[in-house]
Amino acid sequence: MIRNNAVKLVAAGVLVAGTMAADTHKELRFNVGPKAGISVLNPYGSITVKPASGNIVIVNAVLHSDKVEIDNTQSANRVDIQSHLLPGADADNARVDYEVFVPPDASLTLQSTNATLHAEGLRGDVTLEGVGSSVDVRDVSDAHVHVKTMNGPITLTNIRNGHVEVDSVSGEVNLTSVTGPLVQVISTSGRINYSGDFGSGGEYRLTSHSGDIEAAVPDTASADVVARSVKGEVHDDVHLQPRTHTWFPIKQGSAFAGTVGKAASSVVLRTFSGKILLKKRSEK
Amino acid sequence: MNCNDLIKSLAENEDGISLPQQVHLRSCTACVALVSDLHKIRSIAADLRSIDEPSPRVWNSLEIALRQEGLIRSQSSSKPFVTSFGARWGWARWLVPAAAAILVAVGSIEYRQSASRHLGEYAKPAKLSVVADLDDADFLQEVSDRTPAVQAQYNDSLRSVNDAIRDAQAALDADPSDPDARRALMEAFQQKQMLFNMAEDRPLP
Repeated sequence: MIRNNAVKLVAAGVLVAGTMAADTHKELRFNVGPKAGISVLNPYGSITVKPASGNIVIVNAVLHSDKVEIDNTQSANRVDIQSHLLPGADADNARVDYEVFVPPDASLTLQSTNATLHAEGLRGDVTLEGVGSSVDVRDVSDAHVHVKTMNGPITLTNIRNGHVEVDSVSGEVNLTSVTGPLVQVISTSGRINYSGDFGSGGEYRLTSHSGDIEAAVPDTASADVVARSVKGEVHDDVHLQPRTHTWFPIKQGSAFAGTVGKAASSVVLRTFSGKILLKKRSEK
Repeated sequence: MNCNDLIKSLAENEDGISLPQQVHLRSCTACVALVSDLHKIRSIAADLRSIDEPSPRVWNSLEIALRQEGLIRSQSSSKPFVTSFGARWGWARWLVPAAAAILVAVGSIEYRQSASRHLGEYAKPAKLSVVADLDDADFLQEVSDRTPAVQAQYNDSLRSVNDAIRDAQAALDADPSDPDARRALMEAFQQKQMLFNMAEDRPLP
């Protein structure tokens, strides 16, 4: 009995060791100046970017096979990292997982086909683009955030004081505590969820052709809200103070316009056939 | 300036080039379309003045018809029709040629509108197919070297945006003055442009 258990343990150990042996770990370091430009291109796997102190970029990469290699270049204040797929590479064996530490003021560009993209704690412009990539950006302030996906879901959390532009054909877009002078989301069939107070003076344009839009606002929100849909239903569960004069006809069930608080921010919610719901956010 | 103000201001400045007009036109697609239509009408009217002036045969035909009706009598050939006509009708002597010119102009406008509507019925499906189908072949060629799973993602996205374009176009055809349908169409095209850019820019499989 004891011998059988020992054999099993040894076999498991060999299996894990074998798997780890197929992975290759690499570390790269680059000295950069202020406001460096960092670019990572990785078709499969993941890219996680976090802030680090000092003017240095640290890249930790795990390559899951020998069918992919890492190309890297530094030109002045720009660092480019690319996963170079070799003959015989496919979506499984071409996976590379990157963990990248950058100065907080660096500008970041991440491109992928289906890798998971994550960036947090930055104060430089962030541009993320992926076909089916799942995108997660949080705790970015005083910088612009640009995200494009085809069907990858997008989550933005605690983004402040910059331009936010999101384009996704069918990915679900979730915005929590996202405020700034411009917040724009355009989708064809993806659902858009916004939870926050719309800041104090920005322009918010959430548009989906056939996806639904849901915006949950606290009692302290201050916004001038217009919601319009060509064929979808719109619902105002916040009970806005209705605007007395609009340039467009208010057709019950297809449009509403009104204010909450001091109407500091301008909010436009539009769909072609998706539903629009403005509701009160429950405070926990 | 809102839409009503713009319409009123066009009476004074029909070119839409004053600063308040320009500011409004930057954000109002419905008014942009209105100003564009006014320009078209003005240019067509200018063409009519120079091109569609009734020919001498028209005046001769009028003269024959009026004689047959007994409204004018035979006169010496040395006297021009207009002079003798004027002698009888005074200031109203221009009414008949003016009425004839108006009838010809109206008929010409009606013919042009009918022709453009007729052409438009054939143009619309072709226009949609140019955007929705023919360019799609280039797009599909661009992604043909991708892995099957990625090709499927591209194809699904293309189908989705083409559906959106068709929806919006249909709504705009039903009501050309609908600003929401117009904007939905524009944004659907922007999404399609994004797809094309992603396919072209992407060196990845």
